[in-house]
Amino acid sequence: MRGALGVFVAESMSEPTTTAAPAAPSGFAIQKKRLRLLGLTVDDTIKAFFGGNAIVAIVVLTLITFFLMREGLGFFAQNNQSLQVYRQAGLEYVDFIRAQVDDHTALTRYLSDLRLRQLTALTEGRKLSLDEANAALAKFDEFSDTFSGTVDPMRSLLSDLTEQATAIKTKFIVSGDKKEERAQLLAEGKTAEAAAVKIEETDFAAELKPLLATLPAFKEANREFSRALTASLAGAPVPPTAELVARMERLKQLTRDYLASLPSVERSLETWDYTRPIPAWKTVSSFVFGRQWLTASFWQDWYGVIPLFVGSLMVSIVALTLAVPLGVGAAIYINQIASLREQRVIKPCIEFISAIPSVVLGFFGIAVLGQALRALSQFSWLSWVPGFPYSERLNILTAGCLLALIAVPTIFTLAEDALNNVPRALKEASFALGASRLQTIVRIIVPASLSGIISAVLLGLGRVVGETMVVLLCAGNRIAIPDFTDGLSVVTQPVHTMTGIIAQEMGEVVRGSIHYRALFVVGLVLFVLSLMINYAAQKIVRKYRISIG
Amino acid sequence: MSAPAAHLLKSQPNAARHSERATFWLFRAATYLVLACGLGVFGTIFLKGAGTVFTAEVPFINTTFFTDAPESLYVFEFEGKKYEMGDNEFRAFKKKHPAAATVKSESYVYSSGGIFPCIVGTVLLVVGSMTIALVLGVCAAIYINEYARDGLFIRFVRLAILNLAGVPSIVFGLFGFGMFVIYFGWNVSLIAGWFTLAFMVLPVVITASEESLKAVPKGFREGSLALGATKWQTIRLNVVPYALPGILTSSILGIARVAGETAPIMFTAAYVVRDKLPWDVAKAGDLFFQGVMALPYHIYVVSSKIPQNEYTERVQYGTAFVFLLVVAFIAASSIILRNKLRSRYKW
Repeated sequence: MRGALGVFVAESMSEPTTTAAPAAPSGFAIQKKRLRLLGLTVDDTIKAFFGGNAIVAIVVLTLITFFLMREGLGFFAQNNQSLQVYRQAGLEYVDFIRAQVDDHTALTRYLSDLRLRQLTALTEGRKLSLDEANAALAKFDEFSDTFSGTVDPMRSLLSDLTEQATAIKTKFIVSGDKKEERAQLLAEGKTAEAAAVKIEETDFAAELKPLLATLPAFKEANREFSRALTASLAGAPVPPTAELVARMERLKQLTRDYLASLPSVERSLETWDYTRPIPAWKTVSSFVFGRQWLTASFWQDWYGVIPLFVGSLMVSIVALTLAVPLGVGAAIYINQIASLREQRVIKPCIEFISAIPSVVLGFFGIAVLGQALRALSQFSWLSWVPGFPYSERLNILTAGCLLALIAVPTIFTLAEDALNNVPRALKEASFALGASRLQTIVRIIVPASLSGIISAVLLGLGRVVGETMVVLLCAGNRIAIPDFTDGLSVVTQPVHTMTGIIAQEMGEVVRGSIHYRALFVVGLVLFVLSLMINYAAQKIVRKYRISIG
Repeated sequence: MSAPAAHLLKSQPNAARHSERATFWLFRAATYLVLACGLGVFGTIFLKGAGTVFTAEVPFINTTFFTDAPESLYVFEFEGKKYEMGDNEFRAFKKKHPAAATVKSESYVYSSGGIFPCIVGTVLLVVGSMTIALVLGVCAAIYINEYARDGLFIRFVRLAILNLAGVPSIVFGLFGFGMFVIYFGWNVSLIAGWFTLAFMVLPVVITASEESLKAVPKGFREGSLALGATKWQTIRLNVVPYALPGILTSSILGIARVAGETAPIMFTAAYVVRDKLPWDVAKAGDLFFQGVMALPYHIYVVSSKIPQNEYTERVQYGTAFVFLLVVAFIAASSIILRNKLRSRYKW
């Protein structure tokens, strides 16, 4: 229509005119005055208004990125500084020795485990009374005491050094606070008060001198320790059963390995230099690969995301293991097998389950499911299940079961959609060739909709990873990497998750502190993770969608 | 070859058929297991919560549970009798019986009284955030469905909506905290919660609105345009009115989400406890800049911060019951209305 008018205008322009000056083209017979605002017609303005609303989604996504980064990225600088102080104040130095002492503690723990096993072997295997068994173990106890006693001089040395290092760190922090106070006073214009604030600069070289001077004493103590430990091994008694003898041999081997590692500790102490700067990658890697999330400690705070990430991962794996068969199975049943009436009733019911708020599910887990599962685990006929029986009411399994209930409706709805989108012709062709219903479902329908089903599972994963309240209430909230040595029984251990830690600690931290920023970085990790899962889901759908031309 | 088969084409029972039936039963079992789990959660909370919410006498509903604020519960023995009292009642009792002033009592926070402030807070949060989300979402959907031509921009918008839908709710909470609470300086307030929740449900509302707009037949628009109406007149008079019922009913599902989420309001809008009701403010403007108590957060508090025993159980299950009932009612009405609407509007 606009084109036709254009032609009309062009023709009217080209008409020969009688006057010399070209006359202004006469207006159209029908003309509508348009109100213009800033060169836009009303319709354009309205369109721009709606367009502006459409941009909101993009803007929000950008704002989320921006604000998470604004609050979070400062973490890396602060963490670098924290690591720097850790080194300069000599905490790192002391931790070398601490690691050595801790390794010895682990050996002692092995030893007490051995005693327990011996006691069981004596009381149950040889039917001795408790007193008799304890008497029989007297020699072992003597050995155990000398073994664990060898480390005592090291331990007292360590506690001295710990005090020294803590004092240096405190001094540095106090002077930092004073500096801040002065800066604040200066900013307020109180010059006199600012000058009155006494700042003691921390001279790390001087402060560290007494600490480093203990090295010869440490070496001497170490040699003595090594000798005592070797000597104590000679007094090891022979345990009653063959299996325990093997364990005792293992202990001896471990101790010998430990003794061999002592010189390397000394070497790292000798070469340690407090002036060496912390490289930038270290501050990132200590977060990404850090195996400790330790806050508000008197010694040194660590912000390592690994325990939280593993916690989230374990909970999600358990949830998906339960939810995928159930969700996909239900989708296949409803879409292919169920009668029309069943379909009409069950579909809204499953959608209805998705409306149960997660906090209610979390409460259900605390109040009912945790206890029920624990009671179930204590039945003797279920003791073959890995990890059963267990005593922690709130653990990966409890949270995983509830998260499965959250993921099932998501997986069900999307997988059902995908099954629905398989062209009828495929199914009919399969039937026409004589395939049974089961064959058609397994060989035709499911493979044809596999991309949709996989993306449904991925979106279910996204839902589970991002879920907060259930894991906060039911996962047990113990910040540690679960112990994988016992295989599948790991699912009965408590963990903490990325979402849970944010919800739990955000309310308590000081704004702007390193801990606060660390939580925002965890949020950033979650955000990126969810975007990646979403992207993968879309990519799979688009790439492997079958199209019937 | 003695007796000829009566029905040559009748299927014979064989191994394949048996395995097929067994597999189908497996699928059926999966489906009903899911339903049973859902029913188990509903059933437990309904059964145990009903004890708090309903009473044996007329009017059969525990009205104080709905109209009072949470109080501490005191359990004590006095003159050989066992008493359970809320905070106020206990104080009055002590005044009446001076001997009771020194009585030993066990106290449980939040375990007496009711949940009125939480209900009010949740209603305010839902109304405010859904208003914002509906305005933004419907306008965005109108642009996407009516104005936009396929291109880079619209593909970007769609991608953003899809991704926004997958962002975890706790991340929205962090974002709301960083932007509204800290950067805008709104502190923990209703308005910060509104915007946070509104942005969270935006994808749901946009998708629902788009679907409803798409369901309006093309002929409606073409007829209107052919009669000389402008684009805006067409949308205003011939598209939106027919899509609106669909938009509203589908958006109820968004309401269920807004009412049910805890993580986004934890740091942006919710208080553990607050004595004043939201309308007890000095200036009207303060109404928006105050934190409120909310049902989901209250459930979190009573289930994690106080021990589990027979005294605290009542308020825990009671609150969960009321909350579940509200959300279930919203969700059920959304699903039923949507199914009705689908069958009614067939152009």
